[in-house]
Amino acid sequence: MRVEYINPFVESAYNVLKEVLNCQVSRGELYLKSTSTPVLGVAALVGLAGDVEGRILFDMSKETAIKVASVMNGEELKELDDLAKATITELANMITAQAVTKLHDLGFKFDLTPPAIFTGDNMEVTTAEVEALIVPMVIPYGKVEINVAIRERL
Amino acid sequence: MKTKMDFPAINDRRPEGLKEDGTPYRVLIVDDSMFVTKQIGQILTSEGFEIAGIASDGQEAIDKYKELYPNVDLVTMDITMPKMDGVTALEKIMEFDKNAKVVMISALGKQDLVKKSLLLGAKNYIVKPLDRKKVLERIVMSLKK
Repeated sequence: MRVEYINPFVESAYNVLKEVLNCQVSRGELYLKSTSTPVLGVAALVGLAGDVEGRILFDMSKETAIKVASVMNGEELKELDDLAKATITELANMITAQAVTKLHDLGFKFDLTPPAIFTGDNMEVTTAEVEALIVPMVIPYGKVEINVAIRERL
Repeated sequence: MKTKMDFPAINDRRPEGLKEDGTPYRVLIVDDSMFVTKQIGQILTSEGFEIAGIASDGQEAIDKYKELYPNVDLVTMDITMPKMDGVTALEKIMEFDKNAKVVMISALGKQDLVKKSLLLGAKNYIVKPLDRKKVLERIVMSLKK
């Protein structure tokens, strides 16, 4: 996978997390996976289709998701309820929108699906034939992994 | 001597959400995300605005607007929504009430739709992520237009 696809997502995840959570964000070590990747517990999935196709996964533990949603709402949320899920969806929307604007400026044209939230234990994601690039973002509430598997349309 | 007299009056600014006569501006919030609805609602109520209603898609927005009219001063309208998008809903609301004050709420990267909305009569727009200052500034500006 070409690195120019992932950079916009990393940059915008960094910017948006920093802005909405008002906290320090640091980038962990980037890694590449060609087999199944474990999902941390709460994952927001956005699909892409057009000149490039694939998917982006914003992945975090349930505890991290609840804390992030609490900060974004300015109130303590106790569980991953509808409001918390709507909040994580919106976070994924904001990060994706900013990244996609950058990719459109680079000349890539494609459409997005609305984010879908997956929750559960012991989940894995497999993207056949496309390697996934994973960039962990470390925030005071845990980590958010940006998991991108995109390829040019054949 | 009254203690009050010793201090300069720094807090007698009228909250942005109140009209000259002291009654609140009434706002209809349209967004399919519960999070955004809540966020806008909190920002507005903290400044004295009244939330007249909430709608989660374009069709509901039109229905609510007609139901509330003329007791509604402003609409915040999300662009991307299920069933009917915000631009279409804006168009229909403007057809119904040519003096409607609609502020578009947009994700980054929707410049074309924002431009189209402004041509169709939207008073202003706000790009997400939303913050208090940005939301109040744009909404107050639109009410004065």
